[in-house]
Amino acid sequence: MTLTLDNLHRLIDALLAKKVRVVGPKRTGAITVYAPLAKGTELDLDQLPRRSAKEVFFPPCETILSFEKRDGKTTVSDPDLDLLPETVLIGVRPCDAAAPGILDAVFSWDYDDPFYLERRKRTTIIGIACTASDDACFCTAVGLAPDARQGSDLFLVPLQGGGFAVESLDAKGSALKERHAALFSAGSNAQPLPLAVPAVDPLDLAKVKAWLDENFEHPLWQEIADRCAGCGACAFLCPACHCFDIVDEGGEGSGCRRKHWDACGFGKFTMHASAHNPRDVQAQRYRNRIMHKFKYYADKFGQTLCTGCGRCIRWCPVGIDIKAVLDEINGK
Amino acid sequence: MTSNHQNTETPLIDPACYAAATAAIRTEAVRLLVAGEVAAVVGYRAGRRTGSVMPDVATTVEAAGQLLFSPACQNNLALFLSKAKREVLPHGRVAIVVKGCDLRALAGLIGESQLRRDEVHVIGVACPGVFGANADLSKPLSAEGLARKCRACKVHLPEGVDLVAGTLPPLPDLPDLEAEEIARLEAMTPQERWAFWTEQFSRCIRCLACRQICPFCFCTQCLCDRNRPQAVDTSPRPAGNTAWHMVRAMHLAGRCSGCAECERVCPMDIPLNLLNRKMAQELYELYGFEASMQPQEQTPLTSYRDNDDQSFIK
Amino acid sequence: MCDHNKNIYKPYLATIDAIVDETPDVRTLRLVFQDEVVRDSFAFRAGQFAEYSAFGFGESTFCIASAPTRNGYIECCFRSVGRVTEALRRLEVGETVGVRGPYGNSFPVEQFFGKNLVFVAGGIALPPLRTLIWQCLDWRDKFGDITIVYGARTESDLVYKRELAEWQERGDVRLIKTVDPGGNGPTWDGQVGFVPTVLEHAAPSAANTIALVCGPPVMIKFTLPVLEKLGFTDEQIYTTLENRMKCGLGKCGRCNVGNVYVCKDGPVFTAAQVKAMPQEF
Repeated sequence: MTLTLDNLHRLIDALLAKKVRVVGPKRTGAITVYAPLAKGTELDLDQLPRRSAKEVFFPPCETILSFEKRDGKTTVSDPDLDLLPETVLIGVRPCDAAAPGILDAVFSWDYDDPFYLERRKRTTIIGIACTASDDACFCTAVGLAPDARQGSDLFLVPLQGGGFAVESLDAKGSALKERHAALFSAGSNAQPLPLAVPAVDPLDLAKVKAWLDENFEHPLWQEIADRCAGCGACAFLCPACHCFDIVDEGGEGSGCRRKHWDACGFGKFTMHASAHNPRDVQAQRYRNRIMHKFKYYADKFGQTLCTGCGRCIRWCPVGIDIKAVLDEINGK
Repeated sequence: MTSNHQNTETPLIDPACYAAATAAIRTEAVRLLVAGEVAAVVGYRAGRRTGSVMPDVATTVEAAGQLLFSPACQNNLALFLSKAKREVLPHGRVAIVVKGCDLRALAGLIGESQLRRDEVHVIGVACPGVFGANADLSKPLSAEGLARKCRACKVHLPEGVDLVAGTLPPLPDLPDLEAEEIARLEAMTPQERWAFWTEQFSRCIRCLACRQICPFCFCTQCLCDRNRPQAVDTSPRPAGNTAWHMVRAMHLAGRCSGCAECERVCPMDIPLNLLNRKMAQELYELYGFEASMQPQEQTPLTSYRDNDDQSFIK
Repeated sequence: MCDHNKNIYKPYLATIDAIVDETPDVRTLRLVFQDEVVRDSFAFRAGQFAEYSAFGFGESTFCIASAPTRNGYIECCFRSVGRVTEALRRLEVGETVGVRGPYGNSFPVEQFFGKNLVFVAGGIALPPLRTLIWQCLDWRDKFGDITIVYGARTESDLVYKRELAEWQERGDVRLIKTVDPGGNGPTWDGQVGFVPTVLEHAAPSAANTIALVCGPPVMIKFTLPVLEKLGFTDEQIYTTLENRMKCGLGKCGRCNVGNVYVCKDGPVFTAAQVKAMPQEF
């Protein structure tokens, strides 16, 4: 089954006409981010969006409650999740598409987070294989690939001469394809464009985890942390980081409770009201980042909390290269 | 000297000058460590990715021999001598590699009593320019890749340092894009300007990379991290974002060294240096103040004179 | 336990029924759920905690300090140290507090049946044990000897002063209360000495006994070796850990000590479990 580029744009327009929200990589000013599209031709498949697709399910900020105090009585209301729109997330590379499936585990760990899970339920993901990468990419080292189908409901493979081969991977994908069947054509003999396979050394994740299991204390953490500036760029751009803060905004009368992105790299992340801070020093905080991604999440949920997208490498203000760190651990 | 750089294969700036600076830094760093004059040299070393560079605290001769200077040496290493990176100074006496813009930050820290001049051995680099934000570090430095701040730089040659590494090559003469952008904003109505900035700040995700990379944001508890009172909402919403950036610009006015690192590290491409440069312009016009490569103890917002211009109080 | 609604972040509303100032900066709030169904069905186990809201200011994490055997209300006990606890302290009887919970694991009370119990607590750390103490006293015949060693810096820092008197009066509990040297007033009738020292002199037998310890880090640090000397194994000693929390549900990533989430795998741990954790708490 194939889809021409024009028909991909028409698919987006058709979805929009049906009041489906379509989110995809869109160029806004100097950068490309995942954003709601107003028409098909706004789709920018040439750039990896600056932020990951996690914000479609886990927005940078969202209201979880509102409250009002009047005449001594407090009333609390919560957002109507039925108002969340049906969404198609389109043009998602495997490093972004695989992440929500990894995050499902923590957002449904004993308690189902409805804000995240409702969005997941209402979203169909159309992934696309990568034909361009740079030397920050390392998806292949963490069990993914430029054409990994993991996490996608429909998957597009760019073809020589233009257009895409289309695969339907599950019921959601098939349903979407059926509803717009006229836009899809029969298979063609066109060959796929060469995939962009990151030229990186492989990683033995089990070996890395085994080292992490034994080396909570190790000079490596201080060496890296000597450089770490303690910002949240890596965590916020990461498709898999999910830490958040819950804050009340307003005052003693009416206001809202919101949850918004937070990062374990921030100095005050674990500070108690008494001013005691279990992770008082950057080395402890950076260690927690690596441990969480490559050990704790595996201990708890059997998965690695990293898809090798490389954003943290590209955007770290002080040039910390997580792949280099992992290579060093892998070599021990 | 005017150069026409249409051909991106010809480097904008003679790469030999970077190589010469590298050689001088390595020689000096090794000499200092071997002689025991310093316990560590804060400089730059190569990263894993082609052309990439990262800050390094070199404590061994081997590490000192890996230090380098290239157009990718964007970081302001003065950050590593501030209170925010308090693990570095306890090594003992340190040497530091600084470009002119970084040296202004170092001088500022000394002026604010965060550091003493005799605690550091300063290796100043004769710097013709470095890459800006979003540049491809694996390619040769081009006019497009050059940091905007470098086009307006007046501190290519460091002063008051212990050693100048390298010499300046012929420098390209390029239009000052930042000044043009500031003029464009100054020509706007207040409403247009407000619309411009609120649109920029709407992209802010409060990663605080701008704060963490700034050598002058060394407060042990940032005003915006306090919750009694909650000066600025922490959630990444337009009002809080705008307040955050306004507060930071005001707290840096009269201190900012113009290294533009805040702008480089912003993952959302917010042109933060325009704010800082505008503040710097205001302070120059009102009080004749500029950031300098020499420490200044009296700065406009930390001192008072009877004849201070007060015309802006209406 | 009724199904509140799908929003796991939405608290139950509770009215402040009574306020007790335990010390100049520590307050107990007795809370009654506003919704009848919740009031009748809310159940928890000793050791569990909740997130208490001062709407407009935020949530704070405290254990549920009342006993699980008492219905119709819950209690929390807190010191005013920050923005939310100060806001909670400004509330009056009749005003609304939000309650999210119960969260976390709990003391395995059933495993303590037939055993002797030694409770060791310091200062404001009595509440997480007080819930279990009252449960055990309500089920007195299920347990052997019950000993309580409780101390604070000074007399006025002791919490639950009225209940200490009640426990002292009962014939089926051995209460040893103490204050730090210099913390005793002219009418003090308890011991004078640090909790670990007083515990050592009391020398409870470790045979068929469970020790439950809750206190500031320095007290724990010196109490565990005393218990070890008295013959307690690490499996016989239980404690509760605190950590900075926000969601209380294992999602916000804040409260972990290594791969242990205090809000999910805790807050109740054995000494053996605590010793196995990386020391980042």
